Amino acid sequence: MDKSLWLLMLACALGTFLLRALPLIWMRRHLVRRSISNSNEAMPVWLTVLAPTMIAAMFGVSLVPAHPGISSWLATVLGGLCTILVWRRTRSLGWPVCIGVAVYGVIVVVLS
Amino acid sequence: MSSVEAAKRSAWQQGARDALPLLGGYIPVAISFGLIAVQSGFSALETVLISALIYAGASQFLFIAMVASGAPLLLVLVMTLLINARHLVYGPNIAPYLSNSRWWPVLMHGLTDQIFALAHTRLPQLAEKDRMGWYISAALIAWGSWIIGTAVGAVAGAEITSRWPLLGEVMPFALPALFLVLLAPRFTSVQWSLTMLVTIVAALMLKLMGMTNSAIPLAALSGVALFYLVQAKLKAEGKIHG
Repeated sequence: MDKSLWLLMLACALGTFLLRALPLIWMRRHLVRRSISNSNEAMPVWLTVLAPTMIAAMFGVSLVPAHPGISSWLATVLGGLCTILVWRRTRSLGWPVCIGVAVYGVIVVVLS
Repeated sequence: MSSVEAAKRSAWQQGARDALPLLGGYIPVAISFGLIAVQSGFSALETVLISALIYAGASQFLFIAMVASGAPLLLVLVMTLLINARHLVYGPNIAPYLSNSRWWPVLMHGLTDQIFALAHTRLPQLAEKDRMGWYISAALIAWGSWIIGTAVGAVAGAEITSRWPLLGEVMPFALPALFLVLLAPRFTSVQWSLTMLVTIVAALMLKLMGMTNSAIPLAALSGVALFYLVQAKLKAEGKIHG
């Protein structure tokens, strides 16, 4: 990369970092200004709704397999079902994900 | 070992344990990024530095594609930041759970989509003194796996993808599985369940329509709009107050 590309990369890195850090600093100041005991009440409601919907949107986007086809969609549905069933039993993070990936992998391998 | 040290160690261990499922999604994508970046003319060192410093998957792919195609540098910068603009809402949402330490803003470099999703669920469950240890541990695992995956992809990506073609297809399912586990406890009422379902379907449809980069913010905003619509309807029917 020449000098201009290095500068571009650093600008992208700095800009991305600021997008992550500045809103936090702003919200901390906002919370201090409000200085109320229950800080959740100082959060704008739309922001507290937007957070779970962002996660739901990430889930929706990530559901699309890298190579969409009948086998990968079937694997997605069954892998998801197994994930949720294991979660209902364990209420943990790790095992449901491991079992979900294993089921997804077995179905993709068997049907491919 | 004192109980304080034990609690501190357990917070770090908990962070590492919680971040492990991310590896299944991060490493295959990072290997792909490393491979594509090298094939686009970047050196292995440059590729790794892009992953370490920008550290935002979708925008990194766009960055190398636009640079390789000779796009104007200012346009590359604007597009990169536009794609990453969704990160604006992450910090404020976890702010109530963070101490006043001046290190927190610096640590936001590690606040990716997935770390945010994890932190938004886990931080409220942890004691205040454990939160920074948990976050650093989880964020470092994710960041480290992204950098190492990129380096592996840059050096040996072509060989890996030809030898284990299914690896890149199966492991990324760890991400939807993780998001599903994080979302499941939020289906607590008709209003939230409807909001979540509509957002998920909207994001899925937008992605299938090829709107990969705008799918997340558009679907999330449609979910918020629906949330308020349902709330207004419930208020009108007298089922909720306020």
